[in-house]
Amino acid sequence: MKLPDTAPASFSPGFLSLLLSLLLFSGCGGKQDDPLEKTLRIAVIPKGTTHEFWKMVHAGAIKAERELNSAGAQKVEIIWKGPLKEDNTEQQINLVRTFVLQGVDGIVLAPLDKTALVSPVREAAARKVPVVIFDSGLDAEVGKDFATYVATDNYRGGVLGAKRLGEVLGGKGKAILLRYQVGSESTMQRENGFLDTMKKEFPDIELISTDQRAGATEEQAYRKSQNLLTRFKDEVNGIFCPNESAAAGMLGALRQAGLNGKIKFVGFDASEKLVQALGKGDIDGLVLQNPINMAYLGVRSVIDHINGKKLDDYVDTGVQVATPENMNTPQMKELHSPDLSKWLDN
Amino acid sequence: MTPGAVRFARIYRALLPFLSLAVVLLVFLLVDLFTNGGMRNFIKVMNPENLMLVANQNVIIALGALGMTLVIINGGIDLSPGSSIALSTVVIALCLKSGFSSSVALLAGLGTGASIGLLNGAIITRFKIVPFIATLGMMSIARGMAKLLSSEQKINVPDPNSEIWLKDMLYGEGLGPFSNGMVTLVVLALALWAVLKYTVFGRYVFAIGSNETAARLCGLRVDGQKVLVYMLAGLFFGAAAVMEFSTLGNGDPSTAIGKELDIIAAVVIGGGSLSGGKGSVLGSLVGAYIISLLRNGCVLYDIPNPVQEIVTGVIIVAAVTIDQLLLRRRS
Repeated sequence: MKLPDTAPASFSPGFLSLLLSLLLFSGCGGKQDDPLEKTLRIAVIPKGTTHEFWKMVHAGAIKAERELNSAGAQKVEIIWKGPLKEDNTEQQINLVRTFVLQGVDGIVLAPLDKTALVSPVREAAARKVPVVIFDSGLDAEVGKDFATYVATDNYRGGVLGAKRLGEVLGGKGKAILLRYQVGSESTMQRENGFLDTMKKEFPDIELISTDQRAGATEEQAYRKSQNLLTRFKDEVNGIFCPNESAAAGMLGALRQAGLNGKIKFVGFDASEKLVQALGKGDIDGLVLQNPINMAYLGVRSVIDHINGKKLDDYVDTGVQVATPENMNTPQMKELHSPDLSKWLDN
Repeated sequence: MTPGAVRFARIYRALLPFLSLAVVLLVFLLVDLFTNGGMRNFIKVMNPENLMLVANQNVIIALGALGMTLVIINGGIDLSPGSSIALSTVVIALCLKSGFSSSVALLAGLGTGASIGLLNGAIITRFKIVPFIATLGMMSIARGMAKLLSSEQKINVPDPNSEIWLKDMLYGEGLGPFSNGMVTLVVLALALWAVLKYTVFGRYVFAIGSNETAARLCGLRVDGQKVLVYMLAGLFFGAAAVMEFSTLGNGDPSTAIGKELDIIAAVVIGGGSLSGGKGSVLGSLVGAYIISLLRNGCVLYDIPNPVQEIVTGVIIVAAVTIDQLLLRRRS
């Protein structure tokens, strides 16, 4: 069943009844586009739409769309749709199912839950809709249930954080790791990367606290950090925090105690506050992910998959360390304070 | 009001939800005609397979709306279902995790919902607190309990492939093309409809909602009746929680935040009146379907989330406004 896309919007009874009769017979209408001039419709489903991080992801998806379209070989349309309520797993599951049924050509998904999203992703596979997972993992089989996994190498992020902290401490002293909350896979890997590297490469740095957790929010992290600093302020030389809220809480506590700049401090992820603190020297390093690149590579991967290219099981989107010295290079600026207006102008 | 006007009002009220549904569909059609001059998107919406998917996604809100219908007809309101659902999913997941069977977990989930409802009813009647405040408190209490029980973590149920049939309660194959969830919904809806229409209890629900003082003066045991209403509603929220668990496959203390608003909106679009005495099972089901259809349609039409929220709000206000305008003019 093919309907003319350019049918005039007319309301003459004849036309309307024609439309209605078309409608009645259209229930089983399948794909209707000519494969040669077909626009590939790719649904990009983030965990939420309002956070800064997801805005960057959106920008990356649009970047990929524009590049692919200007390359001209194939038309690509990105459908950007997150759960209506931030971080709502049920709505994300519904979204995946809706897109699968709608017959999009591919899905790029950042699963809110590594088990709950498995069955909708398998349904997509059963209906031959390729899925690329990005940002967070999924407990399903890569290559069978989904095409590839595009994400930050979080372990390596932890390694880089440890190297930076070891470097600014000159390879000696006492350090603290303030963990994020229990059960978060990505930060756990960062913590492991940090600890392994500390033990291996900086044996003279003593880790005096590695079991405290910052909790989910910046405020919880702030209070936990205050307690930690009260206890250890006379001996600690360096601190590592594995995510944005923990780092922001620790920064607040350091400033409140007047210890900022005196204790070496390496954080993870960027926010305006953290980047400013990096500029002032209150923070000695920020490990940065590349959310723009993540979505960009996610979209490119799913297109490659559709075009029959063989994908690796895992695509690394890169991590880098911003320091007070290198933070103003164009390359670093693009990571910690990207100009999103050129992508998200609508 | 003349008898004729009353009859008109009754028939009209029964039809209103369908009118809203028709308007929503018409708007979808017109938007499609005017924006891309065809019916591509509208056809996608009307595809039987899509309508079925919407019906499945609708089950959770609809089950909640059934319970809420009871409360609203009775002249009350319940703000706790979202939290109650989260608490029940946690309880279900904890049961399964500690090795109990699906049946035990099911009963525990339903029991949790009913207990929260019982507590609501007890607080409202014993302490003479208006339902809005009492259930507002319960919304926070139940959410806190869910987080406490789960140590603020999602409770994963081990082995997704084992014989935990509770996980297939929503999408599992039921009768013919209908899923387990849809069959459950229809059975429970019929049961509630029959109870409201044919039992003394059901008639009392309307009587108390229409005029509590009169009902009291007639010798009805209003307090006991109210407790029962909130408890039954809680049972429906427990059933919604079972479906939520079936969707997520885990117990999540932070799930269903704000779900109570979807549920209340479904009842209101379906002709329920927050001043009590009015509302119907069928209306609430249609109301819930409208909300789910809007959500689905906005995805198919590629309408951004903020616009979607505005549209939902406009429809709630419009449905109630038209309702009141027409009735007022007639009387």
